[in-house]
Amino acid sequence: MSGFAAYLVFFLIVALTYSIVTMGLNLQWGYTGLFNAGVVGFFAIGAYGTAVLVGPDRAQLIGGFGLPFPVAVIGGMVLAALAALIVGLATLRLREEYLAIATFGIAISIQLVALNFEALTGGAQGLVGLPRPLFELFGSPGAYNMFYLCFVAVIAILVYVALEVAVRSPWGRMLKAVREDETAARSLGKNPAAIRLQVFVLGCTLMGLAGGLYVGFIGYVSPLDFLPILTFQIWAMLIVGGSGNNLGAIVGAVGVWGLWTMSGLGISRLLPVAYQSQGGAIQVILIGLLIVLTLIFRPRGLIGETEAVSRHTR
Amino acid sequence: MKHLLASGAVGVGLLIGSSTMASAQSCEISIGSVLSITGSMAAIGSAIGDAGKLAVDHFNEAGGVNDCSVKYILRDDQGSPNVGVDAAKTLVEIEKVPVLLGAIQSGVSLPILTSVTVPAKVTQISCCSSAPSFTTLAAEGGTQGYWFRTLPTDRPQAAVLAKIAAERGYKKIAIIHVNSDYGVSLAGRFKQDIEKLGVTVTNMVAYNQEQASYRAEVNAALQGEPEALFLVAFPADGATVTREWISFGGPQKFVFSNALRADEFVESVGAEYLADAFGIDNAQVEGESVDAFNKAWEAAFGSAPNGPGLHTMYDAAAVALLAMEQAGEATGTAIRDNIRKITSGDGEVIYPGVEGFKKAKQLISEGKAIRYVGATGPLEFDQNGDVTGPYLIWGVKDGELVTLDKWDNQRVSAAIGEIDN
Repeated sequence: MSGFAAYLVFFLIVALTYSIVTMGLNLQWGYTGLFNAGVVGFFAIGAYGTAVLVGPDRAQLIGGFGLPFPVAVIGGMVLAALAALIVGLATLRLREEYLAIATFGIAISIQLVALNFEALTGGAQGLVGLPRPLFELFGSPGAYNMFYLCFVAVIAILVYVALEVAVRSPWGRMLKAVREDETAARSLGKNPAAIRLQVFVLGCTLMGLAGGLYVGFIGYVSPLDFLPILTFQIWAMLIVGGSGNNLGAIVGAVGVWGLWTMSGLGISRLLPVAYQSQGGAIQVILIGLLIVLTLIFRPRGLIGETEAVSRHTR
Repeated sequence: MKHLLASGAVGVGLLIGSSTMASAQSCEISIGSVLSITGSMAAIGSAIGDAGKLAVDHFNEAGGVNDCSVKYILRDDQGSPNVGVDAAKTLVEIEKVPVLLGAIQSGVSLPILTSVTVPAKVTQISCCSSAPSFTTLAAEGGTQGYWFRTLPTDRPQAAVLAKIAAERGYKKIAIIHVNSDYGVSLAGRFKQDIEKLGVTVTNMVAYNQEQASYRAEVNAALQGEPEALFLVAFPADGATVTREWISFGGPQKFVFSNALRADEFVESVGAEYLADAFGIDNAQVEGESVDAFNKAWEAAFGSAPNGPGLHTMYDAAAVALLAMEQAGEATGTAIRDNIRKITSGDGEVIYPGVEGFKKAKQLISEGKAIRYVGATGPLEFDQNGDVTGPYLIWGVKDGELVTLDKWDNQRVSAAIGEIDN
C-alpha cells in the first residue's frame, strides 16, 4: 500500500468511529432536541469499560479480565447505557441549556474519576498493552488496518441503517414531535419523559460503542483522550454535517475530522521550516475559519434535515 | 556508468520499499516531530520544537547524515492524543520518516507508540514523557525496542533513595508527596522499593499544591511513629510541610526528592534542622557537554536555554541522527539497533554542536567508535529505552547545600538489580 492510501485507511478508521458518536448525538439533538454537552463522558465510559474487560491481568489493577473483544465492547456499551440511565433520570427534566450544563459537568466528573481512580483506570498513566482484536492474524499493520476499517465501516453502516429505520418508524416521528412541541405530543397521549430517556440512553450507548472501537484500534486508553475538546469536535461534526440527518452526521464526521487533521499536513507541507512552530496556531485558526464559513454559507449543514411528512398525507 | 549505478541503486531502493538512501549527492532524509505547539502544553512546546530543530541544523551544517541533508518536520498535537496520533501517522506514512521525536505528554506519546510507530517499525524518542507505563510496556515486549526517552525516569531515583534510607537503618518511614503525576509515581515507586528492603511505610499522604498549611497531611503522616519522612515536593510547599513536621515533633530525619535541592528551601526551613537530611538529584546538570549545548543555544536564540525539555529534546534528535550516521541507512530498525552503539562503550567522546557532529562523522567514516555525551550529560539507555543517568546525593552542612556522594551508572544499576531480585 502506498503511503497516502495507508494514511487514508488510518484516517477513515478514526473518522468512522467518530461518525458513530455523531450519529448518537444526532439521535439526541438532531431528532429529539436533547442538548447533550457531555458526549465525551459516555465515549470515555465505553472506552474504559472495554479496556478494563479486555485488558491483561495486572497486579495493581482491579480490572484485566482478558475477555474477548466483542464481549468487552458490549460490556462497555452496557456500562455507558447504565450511566446514561442514571444521568438521564437525574437530569432529563432539565431543558436545553440547563441539560447542557449538567451533562458538561458530568463529563468532566467522569474524566476526573478516570484520572483519580487509579486501581481501576490506571490513573494518569492510563491502561497499556491492551490487545488489538485479531492482530496476530494479519502479517502487516497495513493489512490489519484495512481489516479494522472494514470492521468499523460495517458497524457504522449497521448503526446508520438501524437509525434510519428507527427514525422513520412511528417511534421516530414521536421524537420529532417531542422536539417540536412537547405539550402537543403529551396532549396526543405520548409520554415525552419516557421518550427522552429512551433516546438519551440509546444515543449514549452508541457513544459507548464508539469508545470501545477506539480502544480496540489504539490499544491504549488514558484520561487525556477524554478532554472536553472532543465533545466540541463531535458537535462541530454534527452541525457542519447537518443536524437531523444521519447521512449528514457521517459526512460531518469525516469532513470535520479531515479538516482538523489534514490542515496540519497541508500547513507542514506549505510552511517554510523556519516558521513551523507557528504552524499549530495557523492550523487552529484555519479550522475555526472553515467551520464558521460552512455555517454562514450552509446554515443547515452540508446535508440538512429533509422534510418529513407522513406518506399517507400526500 | 556512474549514472546507471545510481539509478540502479534507486530502483533497488524502491523495490524493497524502504527509504534507504544510497550516498547520492542530492538527497533528503526527513525526521518527524510531534509536539504540543498549541493546547495545554503550548507554553513549553514551541521552544522544545526549536531545540529539535537546532540539533538538525547543527547536523546539516556538519554535512548532513550519510551526505544527505536532513529535513525536520514539526507537527502540532494540540495537546490531544487523537490529533497527535493522526499527525504521527502522516509523518510515518506520507513523509516516510524513520524516526519520530515526541510527544511531550505521556498520554499522547503512548497511543502514538502502540498504534503508529511500533507497527510501522519506526523508532520513537521522547524528550519529555515520564510515565512509568512505558517501562511496563517495554518490559512486556510491547515496544519491540523502538521506544527511547532521554529524560531520566523516577525508577532509578526511587531505588537509590530506598537503598540509602535502608542503609541508614530506618525501620519505619512516612511519605508525603505532591498530588501530581510526578509525585504519585515517585512516591509509589519508593514505597514498593523500600518495602522490598524490609522497611515499613507507616503512611503515604498526598497533598495539593499551594496551600497555606498542611497540618492535616502532616498529622496523618505522623501516625504510626515513623522514624523518618520521605518528602516529594517543590521548594515552597516542601518548606511548609517540613516546618510543620518539625513543629509537631516529627523526627528530624528526612529523605528529599530532587526538586527540593534549592537554597530557598534550606533557608526557609532552617539549616540546623536539616543536619540529618539527604536528597537526590540528577548529576548530569553540569559539565562540558552541557555547556557546549548552552552556548550553542545562546548563539542561536540569544537567550539562555531555561525551560523544561530543551536539553532532552536536543539529545533525542542528536542520538537519532548519530545512529543513522552510524548505521549508514535511515530506517527505524537501523536507528533502533545503533542508538546504544553511539551512546555507550569506550568510544571517543562527542559533544553537542556542529564541531562535535563533524568529529563524529569523521570518526564513523574511519570506522572508529564514538560515544555521544549530550546536552544532558552522558546518556545510557537500558533495555527498556530508559536512561539511567548518574545521580548525586546532597545534604546540608554549615547552612550550605553540599554533595555527600555520587552514584555512577553501574552503582545505580546494581541498586535496581538488588531491589528487583
